[in-house]
Amino acid sequence: MSITQEVVPKAVGFFEQMLLIRTLEDKLQALCDIGQAGDLHMCKGQEAIPVGVCAALGPQDLVLTHHRMIGWAVCKGVPLDVLVKELLHGLGGEMHFRSPEYGFMHSFQLVGTVVPVAAGVAWALKNYTRNGGIAIAVFGDAATANGQWHEGVNLAAVQKLPLLLVCENNHLAGNVREEHYQPVANVRKRMLGYGLTSFIVDGNKVGEVYGWAKEAIDLVRRERRPVMLECNTTRLGRHKQGQGDLRTKDEMAELALRDPLRNVQPEERESIEAQVKAIIERIQE
Amino acid sequence: MQLLNTPKLQPLRRNHLIRDAINRAIYEAMVRDPSIYVMGEGQWVKKWYDARYIWDEFPERVITLPIAEDSAVNFAVGMSLLGVKPVVDLIAGDFLFRAMDSVCNTAAKLNFVRPDQQPRTIVIQAEFLLAGPTTGQRIESMFTHIPGLNVVIPSTPRDAHSLMLGALATPGVTLFFEDREIQDELITEPDQRIGGRLGLGYALLRRNGNAKPDATVVTYGVMRQVVEQALDPMLNIDLIDLRSIFPIDWMEIKASVRRSGKLVIIEPDVQWNGVGAEIIAQISEALPHVRVKRLGAKRETIPAAARLHKHCLPSDEEILHAITDW
Repeated sequence: MSITQEVVPKAVGFFEQMLLIRTLEDKLQALCDIGQAGDLHMCKGQEAIPVGVCAALGPQDLVLTHHRMIGWAVCKGVPLDVLVKELLHGLGGEMHFRSPEYGFMHSFQLVGTVVPVAAGVAWALKNYTRNGGIAIAVFGDAATANGQWHEGVNLAAVQKLPLLLVCENNHLAGNVREEHYQPVANVRKRMLGYGLTSFIVDGNKVGEVYGWAKEAIDLVRRERRPVMLECNTTRLGRHKQGQGDLRTKDEMAELALRDPLRNVQPEERESIEAQVKAIIERIQE
Repeated sequence: MQLLNTPKLQPLRRNHLIRDAINRAIYEAMVRDPSIYVMGEGQWVKKWYDARYIWDEFPERVITLPIAEDSAVNFAVGMSLLGVKPVVDLIAGDFLFRAMDSVCNTAAKLNFVRPDQQPRTIVIQAEFLLAGPTTGQRIESMFTHIPGLNVVIPSTPRDAHSLMLGALATPGVTLFFEDREIQDELITEPDQRIGGRLGLGYALLRRNGNAKPDATVVTYGVMRQVVEQALDPMLNIDLIDLRSIFPIDWMEIKASVRRSGKLVIIEPDVQWNGVGAEIIAQISEALPHVRVKRLGAKRETIPAAARLHKHCLPSDEEILHAITDW
């Protein structure tokens, strides 16, 4: 694979996108803290996954996600004012966000629902609109304990659908660890039961995510069958607003070493921060 | 695809007239609208038996899914996002419990979050039997609680045909129930005619009393047939077949009770917290002088043996008593 060649020209854009997501979420978090925004789910620490995967997608490819969706909406090209307006004042909010104009088809509050719905989108792309696009279903490792995940993966495998399954494996289900929901070492082992191919990548290295996402998407398009990209990652924030975090300071410090944005200098954020602040203030008015 | 080694197998033809009318409507709609697809568990075999013309003409629009009801509806929601109009056949009403999440959480909310977008149409089909604890539960009134869902139960082949055409032309999610307890041999001649499209929320005045009827009888589904069979044709009553239990045709009901002053609901669903309770509550609030009464199925588990389960629905005597004895 030619990951390095692919990544070099894009690397600047990758970093800026990750920084944009982090900055936007930090600003929204500040609003949550003073009660001016609802209980949002932040993807702090996991930004490399939406950035890397979406860079490998075309405009005809359609994304569906779980509720930790802010990064995915940003990377799929939803304008920040549209996104922030929905997050703060929308009918659906973050967990029922539909923006088909930008290829972001739906986010879902209920864990696992995204897979069968994305299978339906993939079916329609293959058999109805037939424009060569694929569907992307984004879920966490905790969703793989849910029946909807299994029913959806089985259906997609049987129907040989053009579906990229992206697992953001942060090894947590809300606040609890794998011992409570994951009997196998990784999600790839579950996929073997459906006869499907998976790639396991370091989800905190954006170049690696991008390179393997391209590989996986090529496979989906070429062979017209679902493929999973399992991204090992670290959630650095809380599960959601209003909930504590049971992890220790030492553990968090260790996880922070894997933060894709750990070396960002404050001055690098200045211009992005000003832009994000202006957008949020405009929406709040 | 061909069925192998089955020339002697005959389709189950018990009470098939309503199913035939539904399939006929789906076929007619499919001819006109290329975005309509039918799907469900064992679907190609079901269509092969019940509506061979659909399978023969549109094999690529008949999607056979695994036995996994919840994902079937979620799958249909995904298809609808790209403009497909799915008709999801969940087979039995009881199986809808398996799909409560996808029906009530996913499908019902679909059109709410983006009111500026073209609303999506999804039809979810299921049939009622009466054959045991988990084979024939009446669950239609539960779905009338959920915003975003329409619920229809035709009681004649003609209505079944018209309502399926109507459901496929109505934006939103419609639960379409097929009442297989309605007996073919009791279906009267005018019902055989196939009508045009009927919008949802229109009741039908099946019997019209004189200017001052003794009672307004509101019913739907299999109970419409049971009531018509039980009643003396000389009785001076208005008989209303709801056809759709959400939305409800309040104008038709109110017009009749204003004349009769008496409202009797005869419902096939469990009476407790049922459709009848809602109708009576609303009518009592709007027209306090109207006297009200209701009769429905008992809040009891359906036994499997035919000898036992025939008592689940109200009997002819109970119906007569409810209508005439005030």
